[in-house]
Amino acid sequence: MLAEQAQENSSLSTVVADVANGVALALDGEGGSYALSALLAQDDAVALAAVRVLGADVLAPYALGAPPGGGPDEQVVRKALAAYPPGADASEVSVWSYRGLVEASRAFLPAGGDWPDTPQAGAAWLQTDPWPRLTHRASQLAALALPGLAPALAAGLAARTEDLARGFVRAVRRRDWLQAAGAGRWLARVPDVPQSLGLDAGLVYVRRMSGGDPRVALHAAAARRFHLRGPR
Amino acid sequence: MASELTAPVETAALAAEVEGLLDSAEPEGIYRDTRECGGGLLLAALLLISPPTPRAPKTDAR
Repeated sequence: MLAEQAQENSSLSTVVADVANGVALALDGEGGSYALSALLAQDDAVALAAVRVLGADVLAPYALGAPPGGGPDEQVVRKALAAYPPGADASEVSVWSYRGLVEASRAFLPAGGDWPDTPQAGAAWLQTDPWPRLTHRASQLAALALPGLAPALAAGLAARTEDLARGFVRAVRRRDWLQAAGAGRWLARVPDVPQSLGLDAGLVYVRRMSGGDPRVALHAAAARRFHLRGPR
Repeated sequence: MASELTAPVETAALAAEVEGLLDSAEPEGIYRDTRECGGGLLLAALLLISPPTPRAPKTDAR
């Protein structure tokens, strides 16, 4: 049973990495035209779970102006939202991520129609969390750093730019490349980032040191394409 | 039939895994404070160069 569960877990992580890689390539302008539905090897529970894990980022290439994938992409996102809604005991990160995917679907998918209501997500942590915890949560929600999404979250993080910058440095020193990339992506979006932070060079370093982690590459590519920060 | 019975179990396990990936704990980092490392090195060096503990000279029993 444990072996089966481990196999399933690893297969989800693999699919998440594959999809993240496809999105990163699309943001880098490689890999031809983008379609989320074409990235998924099969329309099964694991593929839908991967869409839910990556959240709004699965639609990031459409925010750049890529022609939307249309009906098949919309169906995939709808199924993922229906299969993995945040439960009653879901974490705030999970609720925020769900909101982000709904917001991105409304903004970037053409069909419109009735998308699920966005559930209320707690925001008190934006004021109360100490800076290491704040950075950790912000990095988990880096997909919401896409332009136009979650303005309240972006404003809350902009008010704590120095704390986020401190957390970025801490993550780099801890060699937590995914957290560093997520925090760096938010820092690319917020105004008034201290010059002394060296964000551009930091993002280049994080991407290089991550050893090709597709999720790190996705954050770095998004910071560059949407906010002109990081690797050129 | 078997797949119909196992599907909800698989979905529930995946939902838990999704939650775990979304809200994963911060990994344990190796974080070394330069000043602490320097202090440790200094202490080790002092111990190495310190003279041996004085011992009472051997006295001849005869």
